[in-house]
Amino acid sequence: MIPKSIAEEFDQCIKCGLCQATCPVFKDLLLEKFNPRGKIQLARYYSQGKLDLSDHYRDIFAKCLLCGACVVTCPSGVDLNKVFVSMREEITTKRGLHPKMEEVVRSLLVNHNISDEDNAERGGWRDFLKDLPEHMYQKDRAEVVYFVGCVASFFPMAQTIPQNLVRILESADVDFTILAGEEWCCGFPLIGAGVPEKAREMAEHNLAKVRELGAKKVVFSCPSCYRTWHEYYETDLELFHSTQLIERLIKDGAIRLGEVKATVTYHDPCDLGRNGGVYDAPRQILKSIPGITLVELENNRAQSVCCGGGGNLEMVDSGLTGTVAQNKIEEIKRTGAKTVVTSCQQCIRTIKGRARRQKADLTVYEITELVLQAISRG
Amino acid sequence: MISTSLMDEFRSIVGNEWFLDTPEDLATYSYDGFLPEFRPDAVIVPGKTDEISKIMGVANRERVNIIPRGAGTNISGTSVARKGGVIMAFHRMNKILEIDPENMCAVVQPGVVNADLQKEVARYGLMYPPDPASMYVSTIGGNVALNAGGPRGVKYGATKDYLLGLKVVLPSGDLIKTGGKTFKNVSGYDLTRLMCGSEGTLGIFTEITVRLVPLPPAKATLQAIYSDLDDAAKTVSAIIGSGIVPTTLELIDRVVLDVIRDYGGAEFSRKAEALLLIEVDGEEVSVLTQGERIEKFCREKGAIEVQRATSPDEAEKLWQARRSAFGAVASVRPSCVVEDATVPVKRLPDIIRKILELSDKYRVQIGILAHAGDGNLHPIFMTDLRDKEEMARIDKAMEEMYEAAISMGGTLSGEHGIGIAKDRFMPMEFTGTAIELMRRIKRVFDPNNILNPGSFL
Ligand SMILES: Cc1cc2nc3c(=O)[nH]c(=O)nc-3n(C[C@H](O)[C@H](O)[C@H](O)COP(=O)(O)OP(=O)(O)OC[C@H]3O[C@@H](n4cnc5c(N)ncnc54)[C@H](O)[C@@H]3O)c2cc1C
Ligand code: SF4
Ligand code: SF4
Repeated sequence: MIPKSIAEEFDQCIKCGLCQATCPVFKDLLLEKFNPRGKIQLARYYSQGKLDLSDHYRDIFAKCLLCGACVVTCPSGVDLNKVFVSMREEITTKRGLHPKMEEVVRSLLVNHNISDEDNAERGGWRDFLKDLPEHMYQKDRAEVVYFVGCVASFFPMAQTIPQNLVRILESADVDFTILAGEEWCCGFPLIGAGVPEKAREMAEHNLAKVRELGAKKVVFSCPSCYRTWHEYYETDLELFHSTQLIERLIKDGAIRLGEVKATVTYHDPCDLGRNGGVYDAPRQILKSIPGITLVELENNRAQSVCCGGGGNLEMVDSGLTGTVAQNKIEEIKRTGAKTVVTSCQQCIRTIKGRARRQKADLTVYEITELVLQAISRG
Repeated sequence: MISTSLMDEFRSIVGNEWFLDTPEDLATYSYDGFLPEFRPDAVIVPGKTDEISKIMGVANRERVNIIPRGAGTNISGTSVARKGGVIMAFHRMNKILEIDPENMCAVVQPGVVNADLQKEVARYGLMYPPDPASMYVSTIGGNVALNAGGPRGVKYGATKDYLLGLKVVLPSGDLIKTGGKTFKNVSGYDLTRLMCGSEGTLGIFTEITVRLVPLPPAKATLQAIYSDLDDAAKTVSAIIGSGIVPTTLELIDRVVLDVIRDYGGAEFSRKAEALLLIEVDGEEVSVLTQGERIEKFCREKGAIEVQRATSPDEAEKLWQARRSAFGAVASVRPSCVVEDATVPVKRLPDIIRKILELSDKYRVQIGILAHAGDGNLHPIFMTDLRDKEEMARIDKAMEEMYEAAISMGGTLSGEHGIGIAKDRFMPMEFTGTAIELMRRIKRVFDPNNILNPGSFL
């Protein structure tokens, strides 16, 4: 059954179609069923008993980035994202997991991470660091827990992010620890796969571990972990995205930044900006680095276009992710900047991956990389 | 229902991928921006003119209804399969074929989104003036078929004023060409104009040539708030009488203002009975003096507050109230019906008074948005479709409103079209002879009545 609160959402839809304007998926697939409006109507028809949940139906809902662009475009205040997430749950419950999401869900339930590896390997990114402190960032007590997230823990292209962030935190004398093998996936991919009850188990585990350490604050480099904790964890712990913490450290004078000469543009990750409300911290950081000139993308802040990496879409249709990423790269090129900065490991993977394959003349930085460079020159 | 062999024939024309008949596809092409829904028998998404000709040939032979559809944003119910049949959607035909700055025109396929064209021609220092509020999604094909207008209409007019030529596939499958790249053309009957506003009933546009104008270098945006609706109306007359031709002159009434305030769309005084949003464009210097003069008119006629934007960001802020209006109104009740009565500009206060009177008389909630500069009103009826008794009262109120508009020398529709929303009111505006003439025109083009049947005629 569709909860009443969801039915209220699609009753609010006046079928004006305006949400189509900003949907990156519709732009490529063009058919009304892929239009945000189309999916809202499909949900309504199902709830009214006029349509069954077929494999095709499931596939339509899976071809969505859960990026939230449609939500901010809708003049009528429909929370499309809420409908899409609930529908994924309904579909998975009644019809089963999307076949292309089975693998990752299995791995999450067995390993508690999205890779095939044993969760004990979660701290593996430390192996490449020189001058590792004796505690290896794993302390018995600390003020701040750094929640690294699956992608940055296991995927080589993203491992530089925790490697950089611990260096930054160290240089600012922040009392922090990681959970290493005791960190489980935040649960975000499970929510996207339509099994939010499994995400609850993850949440409970993670919360218990943070509590054991007596920490009051959690910092995330992954915007989706940050968002998931905010929206689903129901905790009074103080939650920060890394950009918010770094911004504060700069303001407090704990970090000193030297010159980095570059003209850059900034890509707002969906879950940090639009869905997390953090737009200014990364921009403040860029402004604090002497020598950096920021040119904004055509569509920035709440209007930012997804990189293609959201909503578990890559598992379902990697070609579509590639096309969306290509459009992103074109938009970046139009700014004239040869460097794009972002603050999300998933955006890094999609944009960098695509740029490499296309041999595009584009440097892709996660913001910590730039900050660390500036510190080394400070 | 369509036979399997016929389905296969359609499939062979466009390829398997672009002939759709899954329940999900049929469901998502059963609606447009209006209320009633009709499930089509199939959906076909052609890629080129030649395919459209073949499809129409088959459809005409087999008497299959074809309903053209752009972005499905119309609010008169003209892109749904009211009598069953196949929806023909133009998503794939979305290419700008040519921008010709020397001849100040562009040639586009029907599925090009209005705003995409605007953006492209702006790179040549040009502008395509028709700017329906749906421009970020609605298509040029749909704009032509409904002769769409927009806020800039006061100065620039509507789609028909920029339509130069068409390639049209007739219901028989034959292709004709009307007009061309020249602004002047008086050869024969003006078939181009006949097509404009034909609501998808006469032919299918496969190529559209539109006229462009130089992009004005500057604009000024003002907002004036009144504690008396009449003062706002007097300002409109004063501006128009002064020889200034604003691009935009939008009016929002108290009902809508209250809703916008509650919705958090924008802030303004609780005394506000009306808001005017005014824009002029042109050369920097002239825009500045016009802006000053307009500000003076607003104050003289009794505005309690006037704001003049000094930057694009500020202008955007002033537009915020107008932009959030539909959404805000939609959130009040489960359904809303947007109407389109239009009167000669001078009668604007009269028709507004009439609507307020009807709102009391029939106990229905009506908010008014108006393109005040051209007398085009959008009274919005806030209601619940499921409430039969209230809908009956609304119907009566609407009927009286349209009678009043027509008696003032106005029309049923300024820009949204008739479709299935207002077909029943056609006899108010036209004599039997005129309607019969339209039916005969339709039969000449479409003897088997297969193109968008059941819409307005
Ligand atoms: C929020 C909102 C704001 C709006 N604001 C305005 C406004 O300011 N001004 C205004 O005028 N309208 C406005 N509209 C109404 C609507 O957007 C316009 O009428 C628009 O022109 C419809 O274009 P479309 O591409 O959506 O066409 P559709 O709605 O898909 O179709 C409209 C008609 O065009 C026909 N058609 C489509 N393509 C072709 C073709 N290639 N050949 C022949 N016939 C074709 C269809 O059969 C149908 O009769 C608004 C609508 C909404 C939802
Ligand atoms: S969430 Fe993003 S991808 Fe999904 S429908 Fe909305 S705009 Fe499209
Ligand atoms: S913009 Fe909002 S109201 Fe309009 S069709 Fe999309 S969801 Fe519905």
